[in-house]
Amino acid sequence: MRSTRLTAIASTAVLVFAACTSGGGTATTAPATAAASGSPAAGGSSEPAGSPAGGGDKGTLKIAIELPFQGADKAASDPIKNGIRLAIKQAGGVAGGWTIVNTDADVYDDGLNGSYDPQTGANNMTKIVSDADVVAVVGPLNSAVARAEIPISNEGGLLQCSPANTATDLTKPPDSAKYRPSGKPNNYIRVVTTDDIQGPAAAQYAYETLGKKSVYIIDDTTAFGKPVADNFEKEFKARGGTVVKHDAAPKTTQDYVSIMTGAKALNPESIYYGGVTSTGGARILLAAQQAGLGDVPFIGPDGINDGSGATKDSFLNLGGPAAKNAYSTLAGPGTFDQKDKFDADYKAEYGIDATGYAGQGFACTQVILDAMNRAAPADKASAREALRAAATATDHTYNLIVGDVTFDANGDTSQHIVSIYKFDAAGAGGKGDWKFDTQVEYKSQ
Amino acid sequence: MTAIATPAAPPRRLNRGLRMTAVGLGAIILYTIALWLALTGYVGLPIGAALPVAVQQTVNALSIGAIYALIALGYTMVYGIIELINFAHGDIFMLGAFLAVVFTGGVLGQTGPVTDILPLFLIVGGALLVTMPIIGLLNVAIERTVYRPLRNAPRLAPLITAIGVSFILQNVAIVLAGTGDRAAPQVFPLDWQIPVGGARISVLSIFIFVVALGLMIGLQQFVTRSRLGRAMRATAQDREASALMGVDLNQTIALTFLLGGALAAAAGVIWGLRFGYVKFDLGFNSGLKAFTAAVLGGIGNITGAAIGGFVIGFIENFASALNFSRWSEFLVFMVLTFVLIFKPTGLLGQATGDRA
Repeated sequence: MRSTRLTAIASTAVLVFAACTSGGGTATTAPATAAASGSPAAGGSSEPAGSPAGGGDKGTLKIAIELPFQGADKAASDPIKNGIRLAIKQAGGVAGGWTIVNTDADVYDDGLNGSYDPQTGANNMTKIVSDADVVAVVGPLNSAVARAEIPISNEGGLLQCSPANTATDLTKPPDSAKYRPSGKPNNYIRVVTTDDIQGPAAAQYAYETLGKKSVYIIDDTTAFGKPVADNFEKEFKARGGTVVKHDAAPKTTQDYVSIMTGAKALNPESIYYGGVTSTGGARILLAAQQAGLGDVPFIGPDGINDGSGATKDSFLNLGGPAAKNAYSTLAGPGTFDQKDKFDADYKAEYGIDATGYAGQGFACTQVILDAMNRAAPADKASAREALRAAATATDHTYNLIVGDVTFDANGDTSQHIVSIYKFDAAGAGGKGDWKFDTQVEYKSQ
Repeated sequence: MTAIATPAAPPRRLNRGLRMTAVGLGAIILYTIALWLALTGYVGLPIGAALPVAVQQTVNALSIGAIYALIALGYTMVYGIIELINFAHGDIFMLGAFLAVVFTGGVLGQTGPVTDILPLFLIVGGALLVTMPIIGLLNVAIERTVYRPLRNAPRLAPLITAIGVSFILQNVAIVLAGTGDRAAPQVFPLDWQIPVGGARISVLSIFIFVVALGLMIGLQQFVTRSRLGRAMRATAQDREASALMGVDLNQTIALTFLLGGALAAAAGVIWGLRFGYVKFDLGFNSGLKAFTAAVLGGIGNITGAAIGGFVIGFIENFASALNFSRWSEFLVFMVLTFVLIFKPTGLLGQATGDRA
């Protein structure tokens, strides 16, 4: 009996410990939010991006930002936030007769303990929906967070535009109905394409352009990482390639070296990682190097395209020289007609280069401002619904910096372009950066 | 509790050491053969190619096992002496890993591999010599300020307090280093590998194993042979009686925390060298595994904790080697569950008094 009691108490203690960790972490979120949005590095100006004295004589409405601003995810979120604020600024902070602002109080952080957290995102969305001045929200970064947020924003009839969500089920029926239990009309649009295009486009590039006939796939077991890796696998096989193994390692994994030694035994010609930096991207890269896979191309989705080697916490920063054969994709065009102008404006405003989904953050905001101009709501009470209806209209062609785009009834973009980036050791002053290589308009076989 | 057994005469102790070495080597060879067969049968590698892989994976298992074992020793020693499950111990390990990064990266300014043996030896040796005492003393300070006032309180009080200390340490790390991964300088050249019949054994793995084994043998010798070690064993056996016999309780308990913290710090130094990153929540998962190792080996038993650490390393490695790493945690905790069902005291544990 005595030893049984020891066991019981030991296991209870483990459970209590685990429960306390998630509970205790939540408390750290609020100060972290303030720190993230308050520090200059978080996105340049801490002034409201709109001009309060501007021409909007009907009053002031707000665009909220909902992104993770902790750990490796911050490296991906900062450029998006900058892009959003640049778009508001360039529009003079006015649309449809209203003054449009985004202040630091309208920036919500869904990071928890250094990585994005769906529950925190859901809590944020509840707060955003309940703020009557908010007419639209840009975000989130991660599809897993979107799954928790869309039911809330949909119920509240609040326009949500994601600059980075790529999970297929967010918009495509029948899965999409799960995330809209209130059955209200669609409120969610995104300016990037989906993982059933991002994954296969990477497979197409690995197989055709790099000429790699076999691949070892590892995903991070998350709602984003696994599907994008599955889509990669399907396409790679369809083209005649060999998938030596599709393994998975959750972000709590300790010993990635053993895993990659196991991968090395299968002699793959390339590695595909389904996941983001904060769930193990760079750790797997370092372990692969150590296991003797350093000369094999390491390909990942937009989750590892999160800034240069000079960006704190980014994939390239943590990977260092081990990233020499790394490739990543973005689920949108890497080059577009107004790219040079956008890059110059961005650099002039923030003093750094535009990276990752900065252009997509800008584009989301363009969609919102364009719809606002067309809807031109007369009062605050009707503004939210008028904007939502105008933005999700399928017959309007948006003239965005990333190109001309229409949204289908599900809220998906008509642009099916995936861009491929390659590691460039000379970029970012010798610290290494992603260099745009090519972009593919993916057509399924 | 091995440590508590009546000290044997020196020749018998030698025999015991030889026997343990033989059993250990036998277990390692058995694991390699089992993995070899599994790689051939399950993964489908050719039988000739599977052997070098099995050897390499065994070496990997010993490396991660050594880290778990070093952390587990701290759990088990503290439990043995004051019956406290010190949940902050994993975070002590994490702080050790951070301190090693600060020392090699910040103070010595190293960022990449050091290929000359003498400087490399000085850097790694220096990191161990700096980190182990500092973290050990930090652990002592925590004991002095937080656990000592609760020494005679109901048992749940120090347990919950330990969880609180864990949060404090994690949040200290967040404040100082942020919430993301931090690159740890991998000063040990990763391309130093010894070819052994097709397998490439990394020198770092051997180094890790040798350092860890040396520390564990040193601890075992200290506890069984020295006067202070005898005081520790006496305190573990009966705190009141040993105090009556003139053992300084406070000093002995502080020494236990010092040793446990120092070993966890050594594990932290090794962690950075091997995995190239540190993070504030490192102590949670590694600590949980190490705690599992301590329970698996029989909590309170020093040899048991070391063996438990290696067993967990082998289980995890087995899953990774066969490319089903998503099941590795499941396997670890399943084995723990079964061991506790059929041998609730752990592998080497003996029925103890009403503790925990």
